Amino acid sequence: MKTQHISQIARKPLLSFAPVETAPRGDVLVLVFLRGAADVLNMVVPHGEDEYYKLRPALSIPRPDDSKSKKEERTVDLDGFFGLHPILSPLLPIWQEGHLGLVHACGAHDDSHSHFKAQELMERGVDNEGGSASGWLGRHLATLNTGNPSPMRAIALGELPQRSLYGSVPVSSLRSIEDFKLRGNETAVLQMQAALGALYSGKDPLSGLGRETLRILDTLEKIAPSSDERVYPDSSFGRGLREIASIIKAEVGLEVAAIDLDGWDTHFAQGVQTGLMPRLMNDLAEGLAAFHEEMLDHADRLTLVVMTEFGRRAYENASLGTDHGHGGMMMLIGGNLNTRGVFGQWPGLKPHQLYGPGDLAVTTDYRDILGEICAKRLNNPALDNIFPDYAVKMQNLFL
Amino acid sequence: MKPSRRDFLKLVGVVASSAALSSCAPVYENLARLDENPRFDIEGVSAQDFALVNRLTFGAGAADLTRVAEIGIQAWFAEQLEYESVSDDSCNIRLRQFKTLGLSANDLFDISDKIFDDQDRHTVPNELRQATLMRQTYSRRQFYERMVEFWSDHFNISTEKGDCFYLKTVDDREVIRPHALGFFSDLLWASSHSPAMLFYLDNQSNLKDAPNENYAREVMELHSLGVDGGYSQQDVMELARCLTGWTMKEHFWRGDFHFDEDVHDFAPKKVLGKEISASGLDEAERVIRDLGLHPSTAHFLGTKLCRRFIADEPPAVLVNLVADTFIATNGDIRAVMQTLLKEGIPHIQPKFKRPADFIISALRLLDARTDGGAALHKYLGRMGQPYFTWPTPDGYPDTSTPWMSNLMPRWQFAAALAQNKIKGTKIDVEYLLELSGAKEIESFTKWMSALLLGAPLSENECKKMADALRSAGTGDEISTARVIIAGLLASPAFQWR
Repeated sequence: MKTQHISQIARKPLLSFAPVETAPRGDVLVLVFLRGAADVLNMVVPHGEDEYYKLRPALSIPRPDDSKSKKEERTVDLDGFFGLHPILSPLLPIWQEGHLGLVHACGAHDDSHSHFKAQELMERGVDNEGGSASGWLGRHLATLNTGNPSPMRAIALGELPQRSLYGSVPVSSLRSIEDFKLRGNETAVLQMQAALGALYSGKDPLSGLGRETLRILDTLEKIAPSSDERVYPDSSFGRGLREIASIIKAEVGLEVAAIDLDGWDTHFAQGVQTGLMPRLMNDLAEGLAAFHEEMLDHADRLTLVVMTEFGRRAYENASLGTDHGHGGMMMLIGGNLNTRGVFGQWPGLKPHQLYGPGDLAVTTDYRDILGEICAKRLNNPALDNIFPDYAVKMQNLFL
Repeated sequence: MKPSRRDFLKLVGVVASSAALSSCAPVYENLARLDENPRFDIEGVSAQDFALVNRLTFGAGAADLTRVAEIGIQAWFAEQLEYESVSDDSCNIRLRQFKTLGLSANDLFDISDKIFDDQDRHTVPNELRQATLMRQTYSRRQFYERMVEFWSDHFNISTEKGDCFYLKTVDDREVIRPHALGFFSDLLWASSHSPAMLFYLDNQSNLKDAPNENYAREVMELHSLGVDGGYSQQDVMELARCLTGWTMKEHFWRGDFHFDEDVHDFAPKKVLGKEISASGLDEAERVIRDLGLHPSTAHFLGTKLCRRFIADEPPAVLVNLVADTFIATNGDIRAVMQTLLKEGIPHIQPKFKRPADFIISALRLLDARTDGGAALHKYLGRMGQPYFTWPTPDGYPDTSTPWMSNLMPRWQFAAALAQNKIKGTKIDVEYLLELSGAKEIESFTKWMSALLLGAPLSENECKKMADALRSAGTGDEISTARVIIAGLLASPAFQWR
């Protein structure tokens, strides 16, 4: 097996020597990473598949027409075969608008079952530990010149940039817009800004960049705390999405934003209608719904992707949880989808259809989706560089 | 080989005259004025000395300047080159807390293994990061630490890639630090036998029948000859075959270098025009010995060193002189650096501080106390230079452009440092204010700008700053002093070295 991997390794082009394409900015890309491997079978439920109910006697989500369970606990049907976990029903309006695409059995071919390795490889956009250590988004940013000098071209919500953004300087990482502010008592902050204005008044390029930074600082300061009715969940994810929305609306040159939602490693008592995983799903769905509603006017230049490193075992374990699996699922939200739908070839859950120790198989490589987004929505044709040694197969999900 | 006193006098004159070359670096513009405005109470330190010390260290701190005043810039540099003779006890005592620095790869791996859970991939590399920052801040061997930094970039390894998270500690200790001011061929040799490097560039997957060219290419393209250094794709493939089986032990002495004969390709090879007869480990070693002494290597390294210490775009005439010394001395890094300085000063151009330069120069010039810990590394990360995590093998960028647009975290650091809001790091603003003897905003600005920039801002600039501060409100003396310090640290001038 080792040799097979190695034969796939070819020369990885060095980021620094990669040709840079020039193109106008495309959509703003918001990348949501569900860390810990989300149990996608309980999110986009294959209720038309009998095997699902056999494999999960305790953890399955009731069929949409299951009269033995409460209506609000049943799967919300989407297309007669797949449906959403009821807690994800805040996403229904997005589905109804045609702005939601779900790619099932989507993921990477790595079968290490290791969070660390799978996340690393996926964020680097590679198949094995060899090759460039930079991230796919970092390579996207480095190979596309959009003529955008903004320090907010790429932002990472959190303490440090996500691995996918590595290899691109600068990426601003912030927990919130507050992180793009100067701190201290009011007088000190005002004095500091005044001093910066005086110090950065020259004609040299650095002074120009300083004034651009001051302008963004000023713009962000004027963003009134969102006082409208849309309620983001009171969580770091909800607050992060709200910050991203504000930054997009402030028009400060944002092209890429990355944000994480942690905690999906549900080996033990993951919960069906309440508990660990439903809380996370609620955070996710409420956050995405609020974001989508707030950004409706911007939907035609916005693409949001939700991904996870892999899915979980098709059968439940003895602790009312699920173990590490293989195939995952990607959610796509935006006004530039060709059509709504649950996409991807469904591999099935019968014993001979499962992969490895009993996992959902992968039928769509995650790079087919991300590659299509880079090419069609971000105007970057350099897919060979963004995903070295992988030939992206367009799925024609996007305009 | 040592530069004569006359050479240094020559330097001094030229620095002053090259000062007008850049409009964006008041450090140099203002050099000529410094002699009339002595900073601190250090007699005998000229503006030129300040600029030179700033370029060769992580910031011209009071201790360096005092030493320069004592023995003169020429003797100071000679002393810095013979770094082994500079006592570094106070720095070493600070480093005692980092227990992992001296451990073997196998032990580092063991203590990181939580057996039933995942690995602790943080403790070991975080200690290396913290220790590195402490050395750069506190070591009296400042020029040596600069060279360590240079080679850590040149032989870049990211702790984010697989086993490198613990192997890099060994690479730092046994490859970079022993040879940073030694002979380049020894350094290249050590690096090629470093499991961290071999793993980082995939050589553990370089096997007979399934060669992986990654390390073979980078050792020529990035570590020695340079991309235009005269090797061909065929040379890469042949060297890759020489390097088959270069890997590390996985058991008992995990992380030690290991040559695995079973996966080595014993067929004859030809690299850079030389026939390589089958001799196992020795095949690639012969090539690496040649690479370390090659004229293209001299030229490539000359370019990179001049870029680091002289200018983003160093002139070919200087690079040629430096390369000549490299060739004449078989790659003696000390001799190379002597030539570089002796000949390079006239060509000095402002360099934009990378995040580490910025942070550490602020700490050193303000005589801060710091634990070098997580809070500072968070700032380094937000500025784009978290230690030992640059993903690609070319090392953190060494020119201005990639760093220039990310000013906000620098401003925030400046404000936080001045207000003592950084955990584990402290400056004494009261003492600085007292030392300055300043009574109003203008005079403190003037004094502080001389301390931080090597020359005071002009009367006009001080007034402009004072007006801006007064128009924004009035605070008490200390908090105004803090804003002045923050503003000067955040200023365009302080972003250059």
